[in-house]
Amino acid sequence: MLPAATTPILECVLDELVEAGITDITVVVGYQRERVQSHFGPTYRNVPLSYVRQRTRLGTGHALRTVREAVDGSLLVVNGDQIVDRRIVGDVASAHRRTESIATLGLLHRRDVSDYGGILVDETELDDAGTVPVVELVERPRDDREYRLNAGVYALEPEIFDAIAESEPRTGEHSLVDAISYLVAESEESLPLVRGVESDGLWVDATYPWDLLEVATELIDSGRIGDADTPGTRAISPSASIHGSAVVREPVVVDDNCEIGPGAVVGPYACLGENVTVESGTVVERSVLDTDTRVRSNATVLECVAGQGVEIGAGSTIPGGPGDVRVGDRVFEDENLGALLADRARDDGDVTYAPGSVVGPNATVCAGATVRGTVAEATEVRS
Amino acid sequence: MCGIIGYVGDRGDTEVLEVLMDGLSGLEYRGYDSAGVAVANSSIAVRKREGDISALESALDGDDVDGTAGIGHTRWSTHGPPSDVNAHPHTDDDDRVAVVHNGIIENYQPLRDDLESRGYEFESETDTEVVPHLIADALADGCDRERAFRRAIDRLEGSYAIAAVFSGCETVYAARDSSPLVLGIGDDGHYLASDVPAFIEYTDRVIYLDDGEFATIEPDSVVVTDADGTVVDTSIETIEWDPEDAGKSGYDHYMLKEIHEQPTAIRQCLHERVVELEREIAVDSVASLSVPDRVQLVACGTSYHAALYGTRLLRERGVPATAFLASEYDVDAVPVDRETLVIGVTQSGETADTMTALREANSVGATTLAVTNVVGSSAARECDRAMYVRAGPEIGVAATKTFVSQQIALVVLASELTGEYDVDLVGALRDLPGQLQSVLDDSRARTVAEEYLDADAYFFIGRSYNAPVALEGALKMKEITYKHAEGFAAGELKHGPLALVTDRTPVFALVTEGANPTKTIGNVKEVETRGAPVVAVTDGCSDVERYADFVLEVPETHPALAPVLANVQLQLVSYWVANDLGRSIDKPRNLAKSVTVE
Repeated sequence: MLPAATTPILECVLDELVEAGITDITVVVGYQRERVQSHFGPTYRNVPLSYVRQRTRLGTGHALRTVREAVDGSLLVVNGDQIVDRRIVGDVASAHRRTESIATLGLLHRRDVSDYGGILVDETELDDAGTVPVVELVERPRDDREYRLNAGVYALEPEIFDAIAESEPRTGEHSLVDAISYLVAESEESLPLVRGVESDGLWVDATYPWDLLEVATELIDSGRIGDADTPGTRAISPSASIHGSAVVREPVVVDDNCEIGPGAVVGPYACLGENVTVESGTVVERSVLDTDTRVRSNATVLECVAGQGVEIGAGSTIPGGPGDVRVGDRVFEDENLGALLADRARDDGDVTYAPGSVVGPNATVCAGATVRGTVAEATEVRS
Repeated sequence: MCGIIGYVGDRGDTEVLEVLMDGLSGLEYRGYDSAGVAVANSSIAVRKREGDISALESALDGDDVDGTAGIGHTRWSTHGPPSDVNAHPHTDDDDRVAVVHNGIIENYQPLRDDLESRGYEFESETDTEVVPHLIADALADGCDRERAFRRAIDRLEGSYAIAAVFSGCETVYAARDSSPLVLGIGDDGHYLASDVPAFIEYTDRVIYLDDGEFATIEPDSVVVTDADGTVVDTSIETIEWDPEDAGKSGYDHYMLKEIHEQPTAIRQCLHERVVELEREIAVDSVASLSVPDRVQLVACGTSYHAALYGTRLLRERGVPATAFLASEYDVDAVPVDRETLVIGVTQSGETADTMTALREANSVGATTLAVTNVVGSSAARECDRAMYVRAGPEIGVAATKTFVSQQIALVVLASELTGEYDVDLVGALRDLPGQLQSVLDDSRARTVAEEYLDADAYFFIGRSYNAPVALEGALKMKEITYKHAEGFAAGELKHGPLALVTDRTPVFALVTEGANPTKTIGNVKEVETRGAPVVAVTDGCSDVERYADFVLEVPETHPALAPVLANVQLQLVSYWVANDLGRSIDKPRNLAKSVTVE
């Protein structure tokens, strides 16, 4: 339920599906499924939603297997943390109806696919439906062959369930991509089981929490959100209270019941989720602050991602990126991240954050401390 | 959200109404603040009522409406009052056609302006009413019924699932765009509805209509066509899932779903009523009330526990306030006069005992105020003022989210009425939904429930703000587990009930800041020395965990709001005990959601 600007990413995903004409949606839920179910309820924009529970997280293929009972024909699969344009969804669905393949994948032209899934195709075999046979799938390709980006939009026949069962699990996990690679390997030259269709449109991935800054920017720049002149896109909620002396620099997204105090400066590219408070004299720029987060007075918050119920204390400074982000053993260099504060993290004020800092859920940072690197969940940092 | 139902068939004339009414109750989860049916014979009989489906049922009592084709509608409005006139079905000027609709017709205003300019008369404020008039307009131009229906639908922009019946005709016409509609194929008739539960007891064979499609449903045929009138090949699917689960959004029970909706319920209740920036709490519906000489709250069951909490909040603001059980109010010789404010706390707004008490208060000239969840309910109409708690529809018989909303509404009400509150309370209210979410995320209530599943009885104690929560915790446990449970103001334990305490009677102690924790711990020690297991629900303000076998934590908040969070832990304990015992959680034996008898 990470936010794309101020609404859950999954809501953006469902929006694109509904716009693409999908009328029956099953959501595979696991961790914090109650939040998903409570947020969306039994229908979304009049499309019925059913929920299937994945009890253990054993890969994308395993997740798909949990819906086996709910499916009796072709199915379309998308990721819950990737926003894919309705055009891509529509292209894949209509191409699949016109081919005999077991799997039809959405392909995008992107200059750099090295962080994502790469797909090699045989362009000489273009068919009437506009699809080409998929030759190879490579995760995070490092060579310079001509890869398409795997958009993560799959139209599938029920045979996929057997392919998932047949493909070898890796480190105990069944991945959907491995199952599709298995189908590619099983294909006879005359009858490719996996085909791809080229498409185009918005595609944003939120694998890591700091991707949320880019997600928000993309959504705002594509006019899907934060455009005060377009009806239906969220910009500033009428129920938000903004003091007369506060400055709002558009584009911004300010959700229901937010409060912005005197002399505060919010924006550009500031996304304040429902019930966020920005107290007097505070500056918030290029940041995503999720529901119930509170920024006390005279703080500076640049390129910050804050989860739900976070409290950034008075006078604290998040000066913005770039910085190296450390997660476990991995280091992500030069990310444009000021600081990432997970749900209910709290600082007591006058705290300075080095670029790329990560504060875990329920952690507390005492007044006057300096944060660098990663602060573990529910720990306390003293000055 | 609304629900629609339609039926055509020859089950025998009297049964059309029965099918429609069953259908509406199967759609109740989609809302229930007004409902109506239309049955076509040589004319069209329309019956509609604001209020829940039972209100329509009593209106139909003894009514000999009959026919072969009928449609029905149930509605839940969040804005604007529901009324008999605004309830569906809607008809044209001559009652030749009746229409039910789920969705929003975006271009209804220009359509209405056009129709009115040509002499068509509108009765309601709904967007839906343009549809019967558009149909009538097409009929007047010489179209047959089907063409008239199609021509009307063609004019609509927006989302809709629509069904229509005509006088002197055994056909239901239907169309959908962006709103759900499913057809049911039965042995002795055909059905249509917003959702399968509406007709699942009659048939499990269904056709899902797609956007832009039309259906013509007759006793012996169902024809689906596209916008051009070309017949569409449809496939009949068999429902294998339990349709009871449909509205539960993946939860096993409505009760658990509603427990998890509580953060949202609080947000809705506080919406535009609390502004921290202005340090202000404001409720439009009670804005101009002067501080009353005294306040009496009347309520039953869970609402009574909310009322007890409300009196505590009013009294600490200097207003003499007392809570009365509504069923005792009129026989208890309670002094009430024109200077008294009588507040009825009732989820449904229809509770007979509470209504009797409010009418009594009205008759002697007291000012009356309804605190209710149902817009336009009897309580809301008959009282001088109405304040809505905005919890949204609650299906589980055991009240959960409506209790939390009542608590919050009473905090806001007591503050607005007296003007006495500090800025800390305003901030704490805004932080409360997130804190409640954290209780739901991290609760260990399930472990506690499993540990004490076979207890002889459960006791709940608390003082001050927490005393009503102790009573509510016990009531929830009784309602859904059928186990013996009692709640006490903690000090009362030693005046008798302590004799019941054994090592097989766990005691749940509510120990939070500002609710007399030290004295409550004294009571904890009393039960601990008698060997009773102790479960402390606490915000960490004391050392009660030293005497407790289990601790259920709640975040620190304003002292007056701690019971709101503590109560959630008790709801979850009761839920898991009932679940592990296999009880009928959403419909406990002998109980009904809205008690409309005294």
